[in-house]
Amino acid sequence: MSSARDSAASERAGGAPLLKVEGLRKSFFGVEVLKGVSFTLEAGKALGVIGENGSGKSTTMNIINGLLPPSAGTMAIDGRPYAPANSKEAARAGIAFIHQELNLFENLSIAENLALQAFPRRISWLPQIDKARMRARAADLLRRVDLDLSPDMLVNRLAPGERQLVEIAKALSGDARIIVFDEPTTSLTSREAERLFALVAQLKARGLGVIYISHILEDVLRLCDDVVTLRDGTMVDNRPAASVTTGHLIESMLGRPIAELFPPRSAAAPRQEVALDVRGLTQPGIVHDLTFRVMRGEIVGIAGLMGSGRSETARILFGLDPALSGTVAVNGTVIAQRSPRACMAAGMAFLTEDRRGDGLLLPEGVLTNVELARLADLRTNAAAPLPQAMLDRDASEAARSVRIKAHDLVRQPVLSLSGGNQQKVVLAKWLLREPAVFILDEPTRGIDVGAKAEIYGLVRQLAERGTGVLVISSEVEELLGVCDRVLTMAHGEIVAEFTWPELDRAAILRAAMQRQEGAA
Amino acid sequence: MWRFLRRLLTSEYLVLLLTALYVLCLWPFAPEIVSAQTALEVIMAMLPLLLLAIGQTFVLIVAGIDLSITSTMAFSSVVAAALMTGDGGYLAGNALAVPVALIAFLLIGLAVGCANGLCVVRLGMPSFMVTLVAQTFLSGAAIWFTSLHSTSVSIGDLPAAFSVIGRGGIAGIPYALLLCLVVAFAAHWLLGRTTLGRWLYAVGNNPRAATVSGVPTGRVIIIAFVLSGFCAALASIVYTSRLETGTPVLGQRVLLDVIGAAVIGGVSLFGGRGKISWVILGVLFLSVVDKGLQLLGLSQSIVFAVKGGVILLAAIIDALRSRILVRVAA
Amino acid sequence: MQTSSTRASLAVLRSAPALLFVAVVVLFAILAPRFLEVQNFANILTQSANVAIVAVGMTFVLLLAGVDLSVGAAMYVCAAVAGLYFKDLPAPAAMALMTAIGALFGAINALFIVGLGIAAFIVTLATLFVGRGLALHLSQTKMVFAGDPVLAFGQGGFLGISYAVWTMAIVLLLALWVQQWTPYGRYLYAIGADREGARKAGIPVRRVVFATYVLCGTLAGLGGFVSFSQVAAASSGFGLQKEFPVIAAAVLGGTSLFGGRGGVLGSVFGAILIQTVQNGLVLLNANPYLYPLVISAIIFIAVLLDSQRTRILARLTRRQIRIEPGVEARRSTAT
Repeated sequence: MSSARDSAASERAGGAPLLKVEGLRKSFFGVEVLKGVSFTLEAGKALGVIGENGSGKSTTMNIINGLLPPSAGTMAIDGRPYAPANSKEAARAGIAFIHQELNLFENLSIAENLALQAFPRRISWLPQIDKARMRARAADLLRRVDLDLSPDMLVNRLAPGERQLVEIAKALSGDARIIVFDEPTTSLTSREAERLFALVAQLKARGLGVIYISHILEDVLRLCDDVVTLRDGTMVDNRPAASVTTGHLIESMLGRPIAELFPPRSAAAPRQEVALDVRGLTQPGIVHDLTFRVMRGEIVGIAGLMGSGRSETARILFGLDPALSGTVAVNGTVIAQRSPRACMAAGMAFLTEDRRGDGLLLPEGVLTNVELARLADLRTNAAAPLPQAMLDRDASEAARSVRIKAHDLVRQPVLSLSGGNQQKVVLAKWLLREPAVFILDEPTRGIDVGAKAEIYGLVRQLAERGTGVLVISSEVEELLGVCDRVLTMAHGEIVAEFTWPELDRAAILRAAMQRQEGAA
Repeated sequence: MWRFLRRLLTSEYLVLLLTALYVLCLWPFAPEIVSAQTALEVIMAMLPLLLLAIGQTFVLIVAGIDLSITSTMAFSSVVAAALMTGDGGYLAGNALAVPVALIAFLLIGLAVGCANGLCVVRLGMPSFMVTLVAQTFLSGAAIWFTSLHSTSVSIGDLPAAFSVIGRGGIAGIPYALLLCLVVAFAAHWLLGRTTLGRWLYAVGNNPRAATVSGVPTGRVIIIAFVLSGFCAALASIVYTSRLETGTPVLGQRVLLDVIGAAVIGGVSLFGGRGKISWVILGVLFLSVVDKGLQLLGLSQSIVFAVKGGVILLAAIIDALRSRILVRVAA
Repeated sequence: MQTSSTRASLAVLRSAPALLFVAVVVLFAILAPRFLEVQNFANILTQSANVAIVAVGMTFVLLLAGVDLSVGAAMYVCAAVAGLYFKDLPAPAAMALMTAIGALFGAINALFIVGLGIAAFIVTLATLFVGRGLALHLSQTKMVFAGDPVLAFGQGGFLGISYAVWTMAIVLLLALWVQQWTPYGRYLYAIGADREGARKAGIPVRRVVFATYVLCGTLAGLGGFVSFSQVAAASSGFGLQKEFPVIAAAVLGGTSLFGGRGGVLGSVFGAILIQTVQNGLVLLNANPYLYPLVISAIIFIAVLLDSQRTRILARLTRRQIRIEPGVEARRSTAT
């Protein structure tokens, strides 16, 4: 094995880059999501990959990791063709992934997690784990990532930052030569993040190649040598980090002037009636003393990193998760026992972050999905007959108004619709109820730019009709484009508030990256 | 060829086709399978099974399973029989004996269903475990209860007014058939035309999405189990009155038939899919298979084994069907 | 604050089976003086051996978040074949034969579960019926008697300890080794905790699952042999509903029905606990009709404890976003 690495090294000296990706294409169900992506990664360098959600980043990475086969295109490591059939082959070729969702087994120890790919044995014919060797190797790897923990500790007792470092240690254990980081800092404290950056520099110095994916463009520019920008499955930019600014990167990510993507703001000032009034909402360990208002006709955004409590806030507001104290009022009436039903009765609507998991009945048709939330309003006995004709008429009307593209509203399962159309189905479901307050969590995740513009337009129309809208998003540009006001969350608190036209990307991000005092 | 197979597998009438094929195959060996007498016997055998399968369908639609139905039958059978038996029953000879006993049947069914549902929803226990425990507990309770009231293994001497339910009829149509038709229509209507029906499918399809959309998910699941218990009680009335005895081993062997019939009919074990018309076809298929094996003169134990195989077959078809549906949709 | 109270309730739930055991022993010791005799404890161990052995296999299946309802049927098939066609085999050969038939039975389950992707409980429910029907057919629903060598095994012992208990001890030790010291054992936990993650991590999930159902069948065969040697004859009720005490033993011992948690040591303990209860009921001359009621009540408690524990654990592992002042660091209160 070491001789193979030697020959690889000599070949590298011959000039072939560590990783070369050329013309990658990928289609799902006839829809092309990746339209020719090419880049190279040299040893000892870091490559930043940026792009909005749905731009093709994760598809590209899944192809490199062997989880998806490309429809076309080639990859090469050290000049030799590389076509992994699964993640195991990718690992064998020297590629290690640090995912946003960590892949650690909580019921196993650190040492076991590190050794899982190939447990060491003392006697080759006896499948007995050599625990002493496993422990020693784990201790060594933990030292390399500067983590002072016992290898025997169960993973479920580690803090998120510690888990991330264990994951990196795992990548190092497999003699990886290319390490891919996917949004690595979202759950880290600032001290942990600094430690991670130092580690990345170390890895580069040792001659490893690093691919770094992140939404925090400042970090990307600081760590990487080159930056690749993806948009709608196409690589739109690939240049040295030294030659660009965050402003450039944003422009190439969005790909068009902001004015085209987002609807014009209404001339009229937001009305003075309060649509949503939240006071002192607190749940230990999750959110702390959230107090804010949304006026009728106003669009308020919540910005924050993953793990800042933005989605948790939405779930608590809608009664899906409990809160220890605090009140939520819609149109001046406090909702007593918050549950989805009570919140809906008060006039709330909630488009969830996880469209497929929380939003849709995938095997059912469009109309059945659109009608579902309406059923709770029918003030009749659950066993009484449905006013089917009326329901269908209203639902088709709603489906038409959001322009859902489906060839059969009754029989075609929503499973087979595109992401944008699926999201419109969820929108139609809630629009049918004419909500007083509409909470949208990541309304445009995984949706192409065209559908995004349509959804922004719908949201603006809704606000103009007097609904108070709360938009939660990880895309700061989106919030800048649609919101009248932006609240920034960090560690479960609202830490800053910005009002249009004083919405400033850098200031929002800075606020979002605040660390909790004493947290580190 | 593949496309034809695919259409066949996803067809609603696959089961009917299989039934016809089975009868044709058996015809040369057991000619009496094609006769009015056999048809009548099959229908009569179908009825209580259909009641059970309809109840089971509600639970399967919400992605649960109810393994307690046979024991619910047995337990309600012996308790109701102990109430009305002429041989030392609590209400022996009383004019109200039969109505009270009927209420007892239904109350037991409803109570068991409710208890199952509450354990699943409020305590978060897996439904197959809850109902498996209920099965042993109730069958043990039924045997114990019988031992208190009778020296034999069952409680006989039931009033004639009760046995007439299973044997009598109006204008040549058996009461049991009427009951079954009413239940089937009601269930069909409930699933297809009411809010509750929509909610049942929604909960089975995606409980999280249902909750977010304002469906009272927990209550809907409890109702599904209650309906299953209620149907088990109705089936128990039919069986008990036919046998004219309350017995703790009532319907011990029909559990697999019931689940099998529902799954063969096309009700998904993963929830969210099923129709009463499919269930009727599934029950018909299993009853015909049963009759055919009897006519061939096979032993009970072989019939037992064959049925296990049929369930497995149904589960395989179910799995294939789900896969094909996903692929077609994609 | 909230965290420490949920942790406290978790600790109570975790020790509940042990408390239950102590309560049961004290109760029977007061009510039936004979209960505390050494010979009685030896009896309890000997009688719990068959359930304990099968429960070891069941534990591995449960660790994967699967289930095997067909173990009782597998026991009956093994006993019927051995008793009908191989009556004169020496005990070790009979043991090997029944174990092999059990393995075959498990392999059939595994084929449907892994190969065709059908839910384990429905596959094993079906094979339960197929197996029982087959065995009933082979035996013509008559009693099947064990051969003399097998009987001798059931009555004999070594160093004053019955062969059944020896078998149980050896199975337990081997299983503990497999569970703690082999890659396969650790894979069980990884797959049970996160099946998709295990697949991504390159664990041969399908092979592990297949092997586990085969192992469960194998141990059902071995448990069937031990039981057969003790009761000397297999009636049509042999192994009937044996899946209950077996699953109950595992769950009582702390193995979760939801996968990834527990272990074989606890399962053997659970089997002994259940046998202790039955033994006590016999000594008290309780109505035998009440046994199934008591046993199902115990199973209910076990499943209830497990589901509550799973809920609390899920609450604990929910990601904490902020560190509340005044709450101790998690690690110091963690157990």
